[in-house]
Amino acid sequence: MPRHVACVMDGNGRWAQRRSLPRTAGHQAAETTVIDIIEAARAAGVEWLSLYAFSTENWSRPGTEVDFLMRLVRRVVRKHAPLLLARGIRCRFLGVADSRIPRELAQDFEDLATLTAGNRGMTLTVAFDHGGRRDIVEAARSLIRSRTPADEVTEQLFADHLPFPDTPDVDLVIRTSGEQRISNFMLWQVAYAEWVFPEVLWPDFRAPDFLACLHTYRRRDRRFGGVPPRTMGDPS
Amino acid sequence: MTTTGTAGETPLFGPDSRFSGFFDDPRWALAIIRATVLEAAHPQIGAALVDNSTFVAHPWRRLRNTFLSMRRMFGADPVVREREAARLNRLHARMSGSDCRGRAYDAMDRATRAWVVATLFESAVTMCRLSGQPLDQDTMERMYAEYRAFLAALDGDASELPEDLDDFWRYFDRVVEDELENTEAARVILYRLFDHLPAPALLDGAPTLWAAGRAVVGPLLGAITVASLPEAYRRRAGLPEMPGVSTLMQGAYCAAGLARFLPEGWINAESIVEALSLSPDSDDPRARTVAALAARMKRASALLRLLTPLSGVLHPDPAPSAGVGESRRSAEEFFRDVLDQTGDGHLDWPDLAAMARELCTRLDLDEPEETRLYDAFAAWWRELQAALDTDGDGRVSAEEYAAAVPSLAGPALIRVAEVLFDATDKDGNGTIDADEYRTLFRTAFHRDLTTTDGVYSQSAFVSDFLSFMSGRRTNTAYDPLLAGA
Repeated sequence: MPRHVACVMDGNGRWAQRRSLPRTAGHQAAETTVIDIIEAARAAGVEWLSLYAFSTENWSRPGTEVDFLMRLVRRVVRKHAPLLLARGIRCRFLGVADSRIPRELAQDFEDLATLTAGNRGMTLTVAFDHGGRRDIVEAARSLIRSRTPADEVTEQLFADHLPFPDTPDVDLVIRTSGEQRISNFMLWQVAYAEWVFPEVLWPDFRAPDFLACLHTYRRRDRRFGGVPPRTMGDPS
Repeated sequence: MTTTGTAGETPLFGPDSRFSGFFDDPRWALAIIRATVLEAAHPQIGAALVDNSTFVAHPWRRLRNTFLSMRRMFGADPVVREREAARLNRLHARMSGSDCRGRAYDAMDRATRAWVVATLFESAVTMCRLSGQPLDQDTMERMYAEYRAFLAALDGDASELPEDLDDFWRYFDRVVEDELENTEAARVILYRLFDHLPAPALLDGAPTLWAAGRAVVGPLLGAITVASLPEAYRRRAGLPEMPGVSTLMQGAYCAAGLARFLPEGWINAESIVEALSLSPDSDDPRARTVAALAARMKRASALLRLLTPLSGVLHPDPAPSAGVGESRRSAEEFFRDVLDQTGDGHLDWPDLAAMARELCTRLDLDEPEETRLYDAFAAWWRELQAALDTDGDGRVSAEEYAAAVPSLAGPALIRVAEVLFDATDKDGNGTIDADEYRTLFRTAFHRDLTTTDGVYSQSAFVSDFLSFMSGRRTNTAYDPLLAGA
């Protein structure tokens, strides 16, 4: 079972276009999937779930779409806060540094994080206004500020300066809609991740599809750069 | 020093005194506010308060210091009392100046100091009358003797207060009628202090709750205090009379007086004051309990905010939200929380003197260490003034400070750090151990503190002090010490 699963929620716009709906309708339809996947991951025993909701590059989308997304996310966060609390899910938001994020939304993020900080179930990390390179740059800044001598910097020490340093490496990334790119997502943490690219668009992605991805992951042979262990003819 | 009154009877100070009996009395809280207004209405005291006192910006720290000082002055041990009186005298000797109308004030003025004691005594008597349990003549006379002895302990003798209780009332009425004014300090206490009262350290984590409670209690306390002031003063100062307020005031005193039916020991002023001034991250178990409670309240208010219906309008965030792991504060915040100790919006010598005073009080310094620390702060003030006071008005405004956000860590500030280190290092062994650290910061070593072999070295101490004072790092041990309310 992967410990840390991440989803790049891709295909909302195409989902809407195929139905001759405005792109925003696709984002709206994504809400159901998000809740479904959170529940499926929790039930399957995934300890860490990360969702890529909004990247630092997404600010270049049309202003009306960005506005709509901000409103939608705010409504979704508020609507599902009691559920997340009741299910014992610890929520936190990765990124959220841009000044274009409405104050109210940032407050809601903070409130939800505060509210669920004591939960010991699954940890849900929502990457909002997130960029993997920016996190690495921030970590470098933080290292320099703490006056760490160059020789002492190790991978572990560097990772301690990333936001949410307790987050384990990502084991499995699911990117829907068949796109096969990293898109600046949690660059440090996906170093050894397995990737699956289901063809289904995010609004159509459901719990069974998610479980299928987990199944694919289990059949993969994770080597972390080593050689495959011999399974046949090994005397032990 | 003649501190004993009538020989052979119970001593005037100590646990059996009338004063000690009132110590844990909730009415005393109301009476102290009233007494403070009457003090502040005296032009000399009012001017000194406005210039020097930290009670607007740091009321809880001030309350705690006053409380401990009173306890020492009225305690049974004459050595402690004499030492405390000497300390108070040194502290007040450093306060003099002139008010906004150019009249000089001097915190050592004997007649003025007598008035402070007079207001305390009169407020104690009045509090008993207002709550419907007046004192009989004997008790009153005995209490008067105690307060005169208090003055004598401070001033050497009590000749500024009439010897006889009957003459005292004439003296009191005369001062109220002739000398009291509607001073700025009195107005600040009546109308500003309670409306803007910052939360005590312990309740700092529940700002919404504190603000809601304050919005109700603040104006009530102001109205109750006004109604309990002598009629002659209310008329002179032009204070409002509102229907029903005198009933409310007497009701408040009566209700507070009902506490006498509570089992003994339920209300202990000392533990209340001590608990309030605990910082939530201190290692005291009570602080931890409250920190846990505060965390729950924080979660509850977060849930409440999330459940309230949407307002609809979204505002772009005016300021970029704090980055991850950042613990710096803006220049304005630092100015308001740490530098401007008197809360008047300017950085002036009294602000730095208040810091020196707080450090001396914490460390319980005697001469000559006290003067050394004050001198170091004075040198720092000259350094700051030279670097920051660009418009030459002799003080530093928040704008001047923010504009410069300067290389504050000049030689004079480093000197302050060194003198403070020497004063904290009581045994003079060149390092600060856990006990010495606790004396200054009232908590054990923090985990992130760079200590070697359980001691805090001078270089680490100096660099931490400088990074607090100039690098504006928050979350250090200095926050509860200098920024706490």
